[in-house]
Amino acid sequence: MFTRRDLLKHTSAGFGYLALAGMSSLSRSSALGAGAEVAANPLAPKPPHFPAKAKRVIFLCMQGGPSHVDTFDYKPALASDDGKRGKYGGALLKSPWQFRQRGDSGLWISDLFPEVAKHADDLCLIRSMHCDQPVHPGAMTQMHTGTAQFVRPSLGAWTLYGLGTENESLPGFVSLSPPAGSSRNYSSAFLPAIYGGTKVGGAGGRFAQAARFISGGGGPSVPDISHPKRTTDQQRRQLDFIQSLNRSQMPAGDGANVEGVIQSYELAFRMQDAMPELMDLSGEDQRTLSMYGADSDPTQTFGRQCLLARRFAEAGVRFIEITHGNWDQHTRLTEDHAARAEACDRPIAALLADLKQRDMLKDTLVMWGGEFGRTPSAQNGNGRNHNNKGYTLWMAGGGTKGGLSYGATDEHGFEAVENPCHVHDWHATVLHLLGLDHTRLTYRYAGRDFRLTDVYGNVVTDIVG
Amino acid sequence: MFLQQISRLVLFFVSAASVAGVAGLAVAADDGAVVSLTSEQAKFFETKIRPVLVRECYGCHSKQAGQSKGGLRLDTQAAMIDGGDSGPAIVPGDPEASLFFGAITHTDFVMPPKRKLSDAEIADFKAWILDGAPDPRSVTPVQTPAQTIDDETIAQAKRTFWAYQKPRRSEPPKSSLTSQPTAATAETVIDRFLAHQRDEADLQPAADAPTQIVLRRLCFDLVGLPPTPEQLRWFDAAFDKDPDAAVARVVDRLLDSPQFGEHWGRHWLDVVRYAESTGREVNMTYPHAWRYRDYVIDSFNADKPYNEFVQEQIAGDLMPAADDQQWSEHLVATGFLAIGTKNVNEQSGAQFAADLADEQIDATTRVFLGTSVACARCHDHKFDPIRQTDYYAMAGIFRSTKTFFGTPPSQYGSFGGPQQRRQSSLILLPIPDDQPIGRTYSADELQQLHQDIRDRQADLVGLRNGNTTSSRRPGATPQQMRIRLTNELGELSAKLGVVDENGQPRSYCMGVQDNDTVGDAPLLVRGEIDQPAGRIKRDLPAALSDVSFSPKPGTSGRLELARWIGSDENSLAARVMVNRIWQHVFGQGIVPTTEDFGMTGTPPSHPELLDHLAIQFVQSGWSVKTMIREMMLTRAYRMQSTFDVASHEADPDNRLLWRANVKRLGAESLRDAMLSIAGELETERPVGSKVAQAGYTRVRNGQLSDPRDAIRRNLQTTLTSRRGQFGEIFDRMRNGSPRQQAQARNQLRSAMGNRQIREMAADAYNEGSLDSVTDNHRSVYLPVVRDFVPRSLEVFDFADPSMVVGTREASNTPNQALYMLNNPLTMRLSESFAERLINEGGSTKDRVEMAFVLAYGRPPSTEERAASHRFLSSSGLLPKSAYAAFCQSLFAAAEFRYLN
Repeated sequence: MFTRRDLLKHTSAGFGYLALAGMSSLSRSSALGAGAEVAANPLAPKPPHFPAKAKRVIFLCMQGGPSHVDTFDYKPALASDDGKRGKYGGALLKSPWQFRQRGDSGLWISDLFPEVAKHADDLCLIRSMHCDQPVHPGAMTQMHTGTAQFVRPSLGAWTLYGLGTENESLPGFVSLSPPAGSSRNYSSAFLPAIYGGTKVGGAGGRFAQAARFISGGGGPSVPDISHPKRTTDQQRRQLDFIQSLNRSQMPAGDGANVEGVIQSYELAFRMQDAMPELMDLSGEDQRTLSMYGADSDPTQTFGRQCLLARRFAEAGVRFIEITHGNWDQHTRLTEDHAARAEACDRPIAALLADLKQRDMLKDTLVMWGGEFGRTPSAQNGNGRNHNNKGYTLWMAGGGTKGGLSYGATDEHGFEAVENPCHVHDWHATVLHLLGLDHTRLTYRYAGRDFRLTDVYGNVVTDIVG
Repeated sequence: MFLQQISRLVLFFVSAASVAGVAGLAVAADDGAVVSLTSEQAKFFETKIRPVLVRECYGCHSKQAGQSKGGLRLDTQAAMIDGGDSGPAIVPGDPEASLFFGAITHTDFVMPPKRKLSDAEIADFKAWILDGAPDPRSVTPVQTPAQTIDDETIAQAKRTFWAYQKPRRSEPPKSSLTSQPTAATAETVIDRFLAHQRDEADLQPAADAPTQIVLRRLCFDLVGLPPTPEQLRWFDAAFDKDPDAAVARVVDRLLDSPQFGEHWGRHWLDVVRYAESTGREVNMTYPHAWRYRDYVIDSFNADKPYNEFVQEQIAGDLMPAADDQQWSEHLVATGFLAIGTKNVNEQSGAQFAADLADEQIDATTRVFLGTSVACARCHDHKFDPIRQTDYYAMAGIFRSTKTFFGTPPSQYGSFGGPQQRRQSSLILLPIPDDQPIGRTYSADELQQLHQDIRDRQADLVGLRNGNTTSSRRPGATPQQMRIRLTNELGELSAKLGVVDENGQPRSYCMGVQDNDTVGDAPLLVRGEIDQPAGRIKRDLPAALSDVSFSPKPGTSGRLELARWIGSDENSLAARVMVNRIWQHVFGQGIVPTTEDFGMTGTPPSHPELLDHLAIQFVQSGWSVKTMIREMMLTRAYRMQSTFDVASHEADPDNRLLWRANVKRLGAESLRDAMLSIAGELETERPVGSKVAQAGYTRVRNGQLSDPRDAIRRNLQTTLTSRRGQFGEIFDRMRNGSPRQQAQARNQLRSAMGNRQIREMAADAYNEGSLDSVTDNHRSVYLPVVRDFVPRSLEVFDFADPSMVVGTREASNTPNQALYMLNNPLTMRLSESFAERLINEGGSTKDRVEMAFVLAYGRPPSTEERAASHRFLSSSGLLPKSAYAAFCQSLFAAAEFRYLN
């Protein structure tokens, strides 16, 4: 006699769930009428509106606003006009970093990202980004939800709502160690809660926090992911008992609710194995760990997260976000921007290389960017202020054109002047790559059909390969 | 009487001067008349003034640069005169009173920050201001956009749209007992309305539900707790004799119990987005929000007439009060307007004030009127006949209102700092608490607080003079040190601000008051604060009102607004509330979109019944309890939830109520039921809340306090002899460089042993944690801090406290399963439940029977009994653990969380 677990072990992730769902519905009363609907699994994979280039997203969110003119937006005039007055006052500050042409495409990228630069021919730079919010919280929220004014679902939640997910034993939208107080940026808002991002790591549980505080480190965590005392076998026996109660409590004809409970327990039981297993990097070989820099500082934290992101992507998670913070250099630009970049350059390059060698980059959309850029003029001598009128964001894989630079800022980098790309346009484009029409992906709430891009957004077709 | 109250109120006021920006732009008396410049003036401005402004100031203070540091812009005349967070930048003719001049002369501020203007440039500015600051940069007045909704559209909507017409009385349909084969009792009026529509759709009602299901429904629906075995036995017998009398008796008894208000009050707290913190990036606590929570619970328990309840929340501060007790209650009620989400980190005071009023308009109209007026902030409503002018007519009322949500200044003043730019005070209650609530300070502690403040003030002065040695963090820039000191001063001052000279907490509440100056607000084109068009006369939304609105001169008009909303002069208030009650009793509203009674909402399934209930509600003196009683004494409430294929095909959403809706218990009921069944429930109301104890503080990582402080305190009490050693280590762990922190951690580990440290750390985290697993109070008393809702609530679809939520989700997620299987609270309560079984039941057989009765209000079926015994004997666990796992399984199974 198979237990459910045995059964699931013998089937692949997605099919295991489907088989289970089928089995459960067989066990329902045969008096089930044609009118009664089978409990629809809201996370089941859904077909896109049109054939998709990208199947999943990895969003590398650079919180604080990395300077575009020091990284991916080459401004020779800024160097030659160093010290002169900028458009809005203040002295122009040339980048402390050298820019070079990279790859066959010859994209200009600075020495802050030497490793990422090696993948220039896969990068699609949008050098004309702009948003409406000049301060961090507002701009971060707009980057994630399209608006800073209202509580709205995030890009990841819309994606999950639109496409479902391919591995039912894992959450479909994962945010790795998001900053505290940023739940709005991965929340489902008015979309059903199941589409919200699952926080992995970050604040964590009580004891995880305590342990981390003392040990000075510690891995990411998922709340209540394991029982402190019971063995898998003991818990399976308990679960079998719970499921027998559930089945005996199934009302005739209309079992959707109880069906949902039964499914949730099977998923949870699988997650207990799948999540820690997925997050346990001890099986990765040393070569991989050092490629990501996951074995030592300063790249350890972000390297582990990038490696986790690859593992989640491989396992079929639809949307994965990693936050890398503290890019807000009003002062100490030279020192601190260098430190931030050093901590993530190698891991990002490794992620791109790893996805490519697994033939996953073609349908995995990797996105890198902050909530805004920084002013070409100096602040406090060695610093730059927020600049939301023009900045750079890049994408790679997932059907984007590699080795491309799209749009441009003015000669110094203050404002997007050529092919400006608003956050709404970017959102529309991301959904497009995922096979979703941003004007058709709607949800009715409070009597209105809402969408990620509200009434705005144009797909930037030029960057679609 | 009324005036006397106002003047008394002023006495109790905490200095409100610090509420920078909350008044602001709305009532600026000046309309900024444009005066033409002489040619000399124009030339002087263009050659001496403008170039310097552009060169030195626009970078941080202009629309072009997208910067308005300190809320200040200097690129238009109006912006300069309106000024920023600190006040008007220019007072024409008076350089000394002009903050701008103080800044460039380095008196009030140091501007430009890098270098001082030349003496000649400063002299030019002085001459210019003395001349009246003639400025050609007056913006052409912004045109009020053309209306897209004409008067005829509004008039027609009022004539034809159901929700804009007063409820109409209609004759209840005749009884049609023939269609109800099992009805043995008389039909209520509600049943007749329901039966009529079912008959028309040719639907058959489900049969009566078994007694235990009826009782379980009554108990959870009225008080959010499961029935006890004694109640079950009594009800079984009583229901057999006379079902109507049995149900009526239970309803009356439970309506009278204090648990009723705790359960129904929580429904209300969902709708009014109750929370104990600001939310957003800088998440500051509201340590006094709990008073509003208790006010709501008490109001439901007292069956306060709903119209008064509404009026008190919008304008309690302006209503006459019989005595100080009632006055206090009224002030606390206005907390409704103060507890919303706030971005205290907002740079612009004008933006903050606009957002605050917007949040208040949104909550007020959706909560009480089921209408979204806030949709019209930027343009006329797309679907409902609500114009942008309607929005700004209401905005004037709220912009003439001052909101108290922060902390009172101490004798040293208020300290904002870059993290809390928007400061606000609180209202002192006319009657102090019997027992002071919050942290009390000893004389020594008080003295230390004063000393700490003076030290930091001295450090700040030192920093200004270039002395950086007083900093305690190596490697910090002067700017970082200044921010840190300001933040610390803010925290210290907040502690002093809420206590008297003896260190005893004073009694404050959150709420609102009318502004000193009141007036109409300008319409903001596209909702943008720098696009003010003409002012809009304060008024009620045109589509909803037939009465003329004339606020008493010198007042905001909030009282008149409250009296209109809390009355049957509008067509919506009564309907919206009876619909909310209906939803909680029957599981789905007559209008399922509980916050949207507009064009895009779902029309009522039973319009005549809704009107009938609304009229009854008003006639009963707006008694919520009477309305609940009427609904629960119907036959409809007693129906089974049995599925029927034909009925399902005809009416899949069960809008015509052919069967009872299955309800998922709320998160609070699930937790409270587990506590109650485990015998652990603490039914006394706690004093205040965990947030009140913690005081005014920034919440981070789900913690109300820095656990390191708690650990240090614990260490200091337990290891006084080694205080010197550990104090220093902790200072380094807190303030040292990363390397020093790592060293300090190692030192501590070797000095104390890992296990002891882990325990101490765990204790410290639990102490400040917003997710306590040891608390046994009812869930309504758990701390509700935005973004950090306790897991026991959050995992079962607790209403997001940042949004107006009339209808909760009922999701089924693996997170819930993980919570039921592995959470420390579930485990603890399962163990208590098991202990109770072992103590009270003699044999395994008794225990199994008892467990099912406690958990589900019924004995086990044969199948369940057998499965239970099988599990207990083959769980692979020791007997006590086996019982705990058995109990946990009963909690975990579907029936526990559904009301069938």
